[in-house]
Amino acid sequence: MAAELPTGLAAAVASSLATARAQMRASLVTLKDVYGITGSFVFARSGHLVARELPAMFDDAALSEAGSRLTRLQETFAAAGDQLEIAVLRFKEHKVYVKVLPAGALCIISSGGVNMPALKMAANLVGRRIAPMLDQVADDPTFADTAPAPSATTAEAAPSTGARPPALAPPGMRRFRGRTVG
Amino acid sequence: MTAVLSPTSAVGFRAQITGASLWDLVQMECLSRSRQVVRVNGEGGVGYLYFADGRVVHAVTSKLMGETAALEILGWTNGLFQPCQRAWPATFTIETSCEGLILRLAKWRDEGASNLVAFPGRAVPSGLAGDGGAAVDQYEEIEIEEIYEEGEMPAPTNSDHPAPAAGVVRSELSGEFPVTMRLAPGGGILASKGADEDMAGVVAYAHRLGQLAGELLGLDPFVAMECTFKGGRLLLFEEENGETVALRPRTENNLQPLRDRLGL
Repeated sequence: MAAELPTGLAAAVASSLATARAQMRASLVTLKDVYGITGSFVFARSGHLVARELPAMFDDAALSEAGSRLTRLQETFAAAGDQLEIAVLRFKEHKVYVKVLPAGALCIISSGGVNMPALKMAANLVGRRIAPMLDQVADDPTFADTAPAPSATTAEAAPSTGARPPALAPPGMRRFRGRTVG
Repeated sequence: MTAVLSPTSAVGFRAQITGASLWDLVQMECLSRSRQVVRVNGEGGVGYLYFADGRVVHAVTSKLMGETAALEILGWTNGLFQPCQRAWPATFTIETSCEGLILRLAKWRDEGASNLVAFPGRAVPSGLAGDGGAAVDQYEEIEIEEIYEEGEMPAPTNSDHPAPAAGVVRSELSGEFPVTMRLAPGGGILASKGADEDMAGVVAYAHRLGQLAGELLGLDPFVAMECTFKGGRLLLFEEENGETVALRPRTENNLQPLRDRLGL
């Protein structure tokens, strides 16, 4: 699809998408301030992966597949007349928190003992921040052809370690004593 | 079950068996076609089974008589099985064959298992009323609402490793859930209250999607799910026996105790 656009326009679109994705990823990073959160990813209504902030052990294909199932979960309830807003899935040692957004969903993977009120609040804030960017990305017909930016935390441990992952500062910002400063 | 078996006559062996199931002992008595009364001391009290012509012909407990009493006794899992001397009734109250009794017992157990909530003290399914003149009317079905009281919920399990046990969780569920559904591992509806078959499809598929999402992410086995909708909530969890339970709570309900138990 991107190939059908004029070269200059395609480059501009790609650049715009990359920027939106980078901004989303920067927002996802802030979720790790909550103890117990392993990482998060964002997928569009189609199930396609839009942005991610997860250790490398979660490969993009698996995230897209999972996103597709979670989209179907939303559609299943919608078919019965229930508009899903939030789903919390408990696995033996982990939780998956899914916050439905207008153009997709925010999915957070955490340990079982995560502080849920803190996670919910963080998810609300991040959801609000990324929703417009997700709208922009999801509405773009070329976004499925571009991969999300690789995570900066590829060397991080598997989620089962339970260790708090290092919180990273969003681009252009620094962290001081655990807090993001300008 | 411990059994002390002895023939009615003075000739023969005396036996003491430990670890046998009551049903095994009943079958032995039926096969021997003996005519005798056996006293069963079980977790539900004392009961008497009357054997003749290769079947159970009469049974009595402190509250029941006839087939309902036999089914109650046969539902006990621990106790003592001992021949005794006891007066025989003028007429037999059980017509069912030994095999028929097995089927009735299996059906009774299935019905009991299909209840979302265990009914403490419920000895006999209401469907058996009238059998052998038993005093079934004393065992009216207890409504879910009546057995649930705030604060009765057992202490939460380790929230890092939730594993809702069928019986335990069953007894905790309350009338505060206007819609409840229990599905067999194969998707069959075992019990449902306020739900229709469409909901069974939604629950079964949502459960499967949850499992798949977990597998794809490399996470542990699926345990439970809480969904928040614009107009309500749904709790869905898998029990140790593979059955799936779905609950729709009232809006005003405090779900935290159940969340704690399910690790949500």
